[in-house]
Amino acid sequence: MLPCTPSCVVDRSAKIHEFHGKTISAKMRAAQLSEGKVRETALRNRSLFRLGCLAAVGLMAASSNFAQQPVTDAAVKVVVVKGLAGVKDNTKGTLMIGEGSMHFAHEALMSDLGTHSIEDVVTGDDSQRVIRGTVGTLSWFAPYGAGRFLSLFRSKLDTVTIKYRDADGGLHGAIFTMPVGQAEVVKKDLLAQGAKTTVTAEDLAKTPAAATPDAKEKQ
Amino acid sequence: MRALRASSWAVVCFSVMLLCGVGAFAQDKPKPAKIKASAMQVDMIHSDEIKLPAEFQVSMYEDLIRQLQNKGGIAHVYREGDRNAASAADLVILRSNVTGFKEGSQRKREVTTVAGATSIKIHCVFSDKDGKTLLEADVTGKVRFFGGNLRATYDFAKATTKIVRENFSATT
Repeated sequence: MLPCTPSCVVDRSAKIHEFHGKTISAKMRAAQLSEGKVRETALRNRSLFRLGCLAAVGLMAASSNFAQQPVTDAAVKVVVVKGLAGVKDNTKGTLMIGEGSMHFAHEALMSDLGTHSIEDVVTGDDSQRVIRGTVGTLSWFAPYGAGRFLSLFRSKLDTVTIKYRDADGGLHGAIFTMPVGQAEVVKKDLLAQGAKTTVTAEDLAKTPAAATPDAKEKQ
Repeated sequence: MRALRASSWAVVCFSVMLLCGVGAFAQDKPKPAKIKASAMQVDMIHSDEIKLPAEFQVSMYEDLIRQLQNKGGIAHVYREGDRNAASAADLVILRSNVTGFKEGSQRKREVTTVAGATSIKIHCVFSDKDGKTLLEADVTGKVRFFGGNLRATYDFAKATTKIVRENFSATT
């Protein structure tokens, strides 16, 4: 048995301990300790359960709020792959749709496009490497084909392709990528704000390939 | 031994003469006169028979315009529907139609290196304002090893710009 306190110095064979100036038997001391431990564990489990419940309720509330929130109020994080006037290729930013226009913002850079000038909105899907950027490039030099192996891990993306006219009537095209599930919402909002499309929901339902876009892998 | 050395010298001399002859022949071959074009209007890529994803169509169009503006040697490059194109002198209109498309997979390319290539075949027609065909060419855009599928559209734009640079000039 270990010493109860620094002051309690007894050998292992001793059956009587001096505990805070009081003399108690070894059996009583052991019983007290085990009872205290059980109570502490039960209390800890109960508080953990309560915390878990609170977190679950919070998460559910947050997710339901997020699902109900219209995109016009919340900015969607997008990447401009190419084609948006005044914006460089592969620029990350936020997209907001409202008041008859589509705003793209990246730091100080702002690009506004009237939704009435948009002639076509088409959604699609895509995928990208999970590990990308500098680390992704460096991973290609990893030994034993580790870079190739890492290419198997990909995250899915949604794409939105638009065609629009500038002030001179010139036709432009722009491609955006965004998190999964956002493309249809963005398209719906653009159509609500006056944009046009050549691919309707009925057309998508007719074509089986388009109905299951996850089956194919692009880019 | 001496005979072998002599014969090897003869082979070397013959090869050199042959190369010089080929070079001279190549120099003598007259280059076709470049067609004058101070402005070019690029129409949206069409795919009448092939089902082409919208992102490929837009990507090809945008890449083509950008490449022609930067490296085409044409003074003005107009987009489809641009009202300013109507008043441009020596306007050439470029119409492209997709004749073949094979969508590959970036994942396959990165994992296997040899599989998953993407290729696009396009028939390009250069015509004047009146619709008279000036030049026709088949161009292929490919991505074989690295890069996303949309890189094939960049390859197509580069190849088309090369054709424009070789056959059209703003001055002559």
